[in-house]
Amino acid sequence: MRVADKMAFSQVTQNLSKNRSEMQDLQNQAATQKRVVKPSDDPMAAARVLVNRVDEKSNEQFIKSLNSAKSFLEFTDQSLGELTESLIRAKELALSQADDASGNAQSRRVTGKEIEQIYNQSVQIANRKLGERYVFSGHKTTTMPFDIMGNYRGDDGDIKIQINKDSFLPMNLSGDKVFLGRGLGNDGFIHARYETPKNVTEMQDYKQEEQQRLEQNQEVMGNHVDVRGPSNIGDIQKSSDVVGTNVFSILKNLQVSLEANDKAGVQDSIDYLDQAINQVVLARSQVGSRVGIVNSSIDSTQKAKMDNRIAASQLEDADVFQVMSDITKNEGTLRATMETSGKLIQPSLLDFLK
Amino acid sequence: MSKISAMMDTGKRSLMNSQTSLQTVAHNIANKSTENYSRQRVETVTNQPIGTGNLRIGMGARAAVVNRVNNPFLEKQLQKESSQMGYLDSRANSLGRVEQVYNEQMNKGLNHYVSDFFNAFRELSNNPESLTSRTIVRETADVLTKDFKRVNDQLHDIQNDIDGQLTSHIEQINQYSKEISTLNEKIQQVEIQGIPANDERDRRDLLLKKLNEKINISWAENETGLVSVTAGNSAVIVSGYDHVDLKAVRNPDGKVSINYTAVENGKLSDLTKQFTGGAVGGALDVRDNVIEGYLSSIDNMAYTLAREVNEAHIEGYDRTGRSGVLFFDMPDTAKGASSQVQVNKTILNDVTRIAAGVKPNAPADNTVANVISSIQYKEVFDNNSSTIDEYYNSQVGQVGVLAQRATKTKEAQENILNQLNNIRESVSGVSLDEEATKMIEFQKTFDASARLIRTADEMFDTVLSIKR
Repeated sequence: MRVADKMAFSQVTQNLSKNRSEMQDLQNQAATQKRVVKPSDDPMAAARVLVNRVDEKSNEQFIKSLNSAKSFLEFTDQSLGELTESLIRAKELALSQADDASGNAQSRRVTGKEIEQIYNQSVQIANRKLGERYVFSGHKTTTMPFDIMGNYRGDDGDIKIQINKDSFLPMNLSGDKVFLGRGLGNDGFIHARYETPKNVTEMQDYKQEEQQRLEQNQEVMGNHVDVRGPSNIGDIQKSSDVVGTNVFSILKNLQVSLEANDKAGVQDSIDYLDQAINQVVLARSQVGSRVGIVNSSIDSTQKAKMDNRIAASQLEDADVFQVMSDITKNEGTLRATMETSGKLIQPSLLDFLK
Repeated sequence: MSKISAMMDTGKRSLMNSQTSLQTVAHNIANKSTENYSRQRVETVTNQPIGTGNLRIGMGARAAVVNRVNNPFLEKQLQKESSQMGYLDSRANSLGRVEQVYNEQMNKGLNHYVSDFFNAFRELSNNPESLTSRTIVRETADVLTKDFKRVNDQLHDIQNDIDGQLTSHIEQINQYSKEISTLNEKIQQVEIQGIPANDERDRRDLLLKKLNEKINISWAENETGLVSVTAGNSAVIVSGYDHVDLKAVRNPDGKVSINYTAVENGKLSDLTKQFTGGAVGGALDVRDNVIEGYLSSIDNMAYTLAREVNEAHIEGYDRTGRSGVLFFDMPDTAKGASSQVQVNKTILNDVTRIAAGVKPNAPADNTVANVISSIQYKEVFDNNSSTIDEYYNSQVGQVGVLAQRATKTKEAQENILNQLNNIRESVSGVSLDEEATKMIEFQKTFDASARLIRTADEMFDTVLSIKR
């Protein structure tokens, strides 16, 4: 084959430039420790890396939500625990003053004072705040839920926290459920729906439902005759269905009975205290199971975060050993090219003609 | 007697032939590096022999013609491959720039900001009463709209750059066509005398190759050596001794289009769509197909996101119980949305207007915040089959694939072109070794011819000295 000079020169140039450009790529990889520096280096990996990043951020955010829910729930749990203890103490006191063998008018008056303390303490527990928020107010977390008379000023909303892509968990327990026992049985109160609205249509339905529910519940509440005083003890339903009890009015009634030396009233209130304790314990177990869900979600989300990072690293980070060995190989090729190039282009017949 | 003078004559002619050949060798060596040069050879043929009786005696040689060693089919192939090379090269360059707009390996981009936006709403959902979380929502939303605008602006910048490139390509094309028409004239005038116009043809071949690199042309040569060149399908830019310029005109929508008119001062017609090859074709493809596609995707993304968020936000009540306003100010149609979508000024000025819940006077109600943050996983793109992240990520993947493919095809084409060039050089290129050998050959011939003349001269003297 006839070899013209230009051919030889251009071949030398092309080969050198090809080697150098490979070298440059490898050097870039070694310096940035990344295999994928722009999307065209590996389009699949580049797109997947983006997915991993979004997941990592979402997981971090979920962990934040979960931790905030966890502290809220644990605080609720602790408060309910203290409340249970107060109620048990009240029951012991009631038992001790239930018959004439162990109590008389004097001791009952003294015990009445103690019950008053327990009553005040219960109201305080109900009005506890975590940070800036009242724990038992439902959605009205900036309003104190109970006044000293035991009237409820919050609402029955559930604060839903997103714990992963598809599920929400209520992180509070509204005061009317725990302390007033509303909505626990056949007393006519209507619950909010359980599923969280996830799109606008569901939300619009939810809005309407909430409006209607609010009006209906207000009607039901109006029909409840809520009168204080010894005479209303008989108004509390004694049926065997599961119903709610008003913790405050029970305590108040006990106090009143003790101060009035009403032995029968004291004996009745023991039963009611039992119901109240059950109600609070039931609420506490609900909270407890939610704490369990939150804890296991935290664990699985953190594991997912770790897995995510491993996957992302495999896709986009450069394998240092591979890069180094490629660089060494390339160096050798470059040197060989340069040596032989010299041999190809230098000699010419003219050097040998005199 | 006549034989001696014939010998002298032969010698003299041979001397001249050697000189001519040497001169051609010199020309070859001097033009060794000239682009697209084809080496030239002197074709020597024998003179008409003279017959005397039984003998036919040859009368030496004469230089018939100076030819160039050139394969026209190879030239045509080179032109075709150069055209493809110009197209792929221009396309790969522009796509490399488009790819940088979507490159989140080194910088933060839409993927990052969209994620932050939705996570800000999740944070709001955790703390619906707080002003801090509302401020974060406002800031991430503002930054997000700014990034949409950045992508839009950068894509438009690339389009403007391409327009600049087009203008300079067109100027060069016009220069080439002018020179080709001049060469046409020269070639015709020379070849009408039956002599090949080697250097001019080499130059014209080079110009045609360069024209092919820039734009798709078709050309044909007639029997008198004139070449007519048509760009695209219908724009005749060289015809005989004349050439017509292509004009780059800026349209009202800001883009440059390529116009042409056959008649001087005639009406310009927009022929941009005809140019699908060469560097101009590659640039136009990226500007009008690829970038427009990405612009409309980003517009769609901004528009749909704003619409979905607004739809949820107006159902809610803000921190002070007022009904929710539109979260984003957005245009009516998707076109241009990515540079026009902005956070509502009311919200920019007063973060308490951000609505988190659906019940007024219920500070911890976070229903709206939950619905808005769920939009991240809602399939509202691609006929309701992709979420916003999937939509954007597929854009990035697509641009990566396009850029990668463009680079690889360009490299493959470079190899093909290099091969062809090497073959052309092998046929038409100058080799110093060969020229050196030929130089010696012709010099020896020169010496021998000179010797011949001396011999003839001595013989003549001998004849003259026969009679004193």
